[in-house]
Amino acid sequence: MFRKFNFRKPLGVLLAFAVTLGMSATVYAAGPDTVKKDKLELGKKTYFRRCVWCHGVEGGGDGPSADRLFTRPRNFNQGTFKIRTTDSGELPMEADLIKTVTNGLPGSAMPSWGNVLSNEEIVSVVNFVKTLVQDRSFDDVEDEEVNVQDFGSNPWGTTGPYHLGVPQEAIDQGKEIFIKNKCFECHGGEGRGDGNPTMKDDWGFPIVAADWQQCWNFRGSRRNAYDPFNVVRTVNTGLNGTPMPNFKDQINQEDRWKIAAFVNSLCPRKNIDPLANKPVSDFLISSEFTAGPVAKSIDDPMWTVPDSDTKITGWQDDEAYKEEWGAVNRPRKNYVAMAGQITRGKRNFDPKVDNLWITSRWSEEENAVYYLVEYHLRFLSNDPEWKEMVGIQWPAQLQDLFGAEKPYFIYGDSKKPVHIWRADFLPQNYKPTNAPNPEGYKLDVSVTELNGKGFDDVTVRENPVVEVVDSIYKQGRVKILFRRSLTTENADNLEVQIPPQKFIPVAFMQWSGRDHEKDEHMAISTWFYTILKPQIPNSIYVNAVIMGCVFAGFQGWLVWMTRRTRKMYDDGVVLRDRLPDQPS
Amino acid sequence: MNKTLLSLIVFVATLGVFHNVLFPIFTPKEVGMVMNRYVYYLIMVLTVIFLHLIMKIKPAMAFRGLMVWLLGFYFYKFILFPPVPWTLFITYMMLWSIGTFLYISQDPITFREFREPIVRTIVGDYKFAQIIVFTLMPFLVGFGTYKALYPTFEEPVELRTVHPAPPATTKVHGKTYALEGLQNPFRIAEQDDYQDSFPFLDADKSEYMKHVTDGGSLFFENCHYCHGDQLNGLGMFSHVFNPTPANFVDPGTIAMLRESFLFWRVSKGGPGLPNESTPWSSAMPPWEEHLKTDEIWKIILFEYWYTGWHPRTFDGESSITLSE
Repeated sequence: MFRKFNFRKPLGVLLAFAVTLGMSATVYAAGPDTVKKDKLELGKKTYFRRCVWCHGVEGGGDGPSADRLFTRPRNFNQGTFKIRTTDSGELPMEADLIKTVTNGLPGSAMPSWGNVLSNEEIVSVVNFVKTLVQDRSFDDVEDEEVNVQDFGSNPWGTTGPYHLGVPQEAIDQGKEIFIKNKCFECHGGEGRGDGNPTMKDDWGFPIVAADWQQCWNFRGSRRNAYDPFNVVRTVNTGLNGTPMPNFKDQINQEDRWKIAAFVNSLCPRKNIDPLANKPVSDFLISSEFTAGPVAKSIDDPMWTVPDSDTKITGWQDDEAYKEEWGAVNRPRKNYVAMAGQITRGKRNFDPKVDNLWITSRWSEEENAVYYLVEYHLRFLSNDPEWKEMVGIQWPAQLQDLFGAEKPYFIYGDSKKPVHIWRADFLPQNYKPTNAPNPEGYKLDVSVTELNGKGFDDVTVRENPVVEVVDSIYKQGRVKILFRRSLTTENADNLEVQIPPQKFIPVAFMQWSGRDHEKDEHMAISTWFYTILKPQIPNSIYVNAVIMGCVFAGFQGWLVWMTRRTRKMYDDGVVLRDRLPDQPS
Repeated sequence: MNKTLLSLIVFVATLGVFHNVLFPIFTPKEVGMVMNRYVYYLIMVLTVIFLHLIMKIKPAMAFRGLMVWLLGFYFYKFILFPPVPWTLFITYMMLWSIGTFLYISQDPITFREFREPIVRTIVGDYKFAQIIVFTLMPFLVGFGTYKALYPTFEEPVELRTVHPAPPATTKVHGKTYALEGLQNPFRIAEQDDYQDSFPFLDADKSEYMKHVTDGGSLFFENCHYCHGDQLNGLGMFSHVFNPTPANFVDPGTIAMLRESFLFWRVSKGGPGLPNESTPWSSAMPPWEEHLKTDEIWKIILFEYWYTGWHPRTFDGESSITLSE
């Protein structure tokens, strides 16, 4: 029940508990965990081997890596720690810091050290880090007080990894609490962190609100992304040093769990890679066969697949869809991990987008393929000089590739060129500071087709044939629906021709205009595969019935044979094999 | 009471209790001489036998065979550690099935006893069982056919050579280096003497630690995005790329390579790989485009210092060029 029960100070706990029982949400109030002097030698050794590179010689968060990281490494000097179980503004418990070092901070460069350092080393390095706090002191038991919060316990008893099964009623109530407390002002209308572009942290560095729909990036997720406790803790304690205050007076404990239920319900359930703390990429993007033409509107049920892995959530198509489309498979929404292009030319160390979601269908009747590209981006550009862009990269000469061979994944190479379909767009009537707009923003889109023979040899194709048939920017999410015919007329050998039922390499690129990304300064994925799946032939149902009947016939033959053998034994036509202990 | 039914209850109950209660107890984090999964399995099998002996139950031969087969299945599925890939699992289970059949057919009596219920089901002595089996089987076969024919698409498997053969020479920043015998110019002392030194703090006191500090700083400005803060190939961008970035802590990477090989790999990056190493999807930059020659050597020096590995050397070649 008490998450932070500290057995080293039982008396203090008892006293504090007696005083605070029933009147406050604090379960433990006392001085901070003082520095364990005997640990400092090992702590210093560990710090200077492992931590100094980012956190700096004096713990100022100014190590060699710091300037290229967003978010920056923690500056320890002020004693400001985000993930705590103590009240806002207070120092953290030692156990909080130990958990942070052990689990790392997902979504940042801080890795989990639990598998690398021994427990002894982690405790030591945490104590050494405490000595790097200059403006306050963990040893100042007179002036420093810590109040460990009572978070209550999960009222629905849900369990990891996915924490499914929270009642819808609690989620709906959580949404009301979300609206009442104006969480959307920073976190955006649907929680994608697209509310406020002007925020700064205590040190004046820009900072953005958490994207609730990517909960695996929650810093305090403790490698348990879907646990609502993570949200309860943050609502209860705030994040020191950031604009996130605590809401413990506005939202009572019962409601904190409800808002956590709401926040959590937004996060798509995907298989999380335990090493990377991110969803596992769906490396095969299947383009689903569609009878007749494909809908050209993003809002059409054809395109409204949930983000969550339907195998995890057990999501089912609604009856209306099934009635209209029968057994036609829904395409999966594929997760595509993105990274900054940090290989060639002008490198991008802090991409604003770290994943895309791709859904695809194709139509034999139309002889065309569709790719719906979606991604979260908190704020868009409205500067015509710096358009937002997203692109799909193909090998231009698919037919010439041998085996696993592909062009170089960054704009191809001189021998193997690539063909890129790029949508360049700006939102209409949009300002990053606008209040959440449930209608979304229409986009002015133009398509550019490129040929690349290396990142320094990219040419724009004339007369693009690729179309963007629908697009929108809504509540922090861009959606672009690409369409192209499978084959093009008068192809000049630098235009991809897409064959059905073949594995085709495909990669993705994204440029945030607002952050002045262009050319090779972008976010990029590695090569994925896509395949235009064939229609399921009716013959497989027929064959299944035929095989069943054949087997039934075989069974009949077996019975007849066995009965005949028995009868022959009984009639004495043949002799039963004699057993060794039977007299002959 | 039916002996076979009794035996079934004993068998299921024993396995249930053992698997749910005792298995977690016998598989602690620190594996001991007694507290391990194999001892657990042995005790479980002996318990099943012992219970049958003291309760004097001798179930039908077919069920005995089934028990033997299931215990083997349980062993390969849950006990054997680390778990075997499914292809190997199938192979093991085929061998185990043959073994079970040998047990069944050890002499004509047991074999006849084993066949008895099967034959009686087929001819209809057990009417109820016959109806169930003979109705279900065709449906199962039909469903299996449907499953087998339903087209599924898995992404193609791609193999690559992780450490390709290096070329004889490489040209970096206009200078040609012969990789054979090429030394790290900053390896001026025995690395083991500096394992307890502090980067930054000792950089002024020792030339060697200065190089390590420089190399580390460069590493954390450029390389950690992929190769990770822990040099274990788990940087914040690592999961995006395929092939995944090299894990320097692993004994299979820098620990078994010469520094000259690293120099070539770092300088030329992904585009400098031969075709069998899939140069098209390697995100490794040709670092000669971003770093100076000296910087590359210092980063290599740092990687060995941090991981504690020593670069591989061959006879007649020393990894240390001690300066007087």
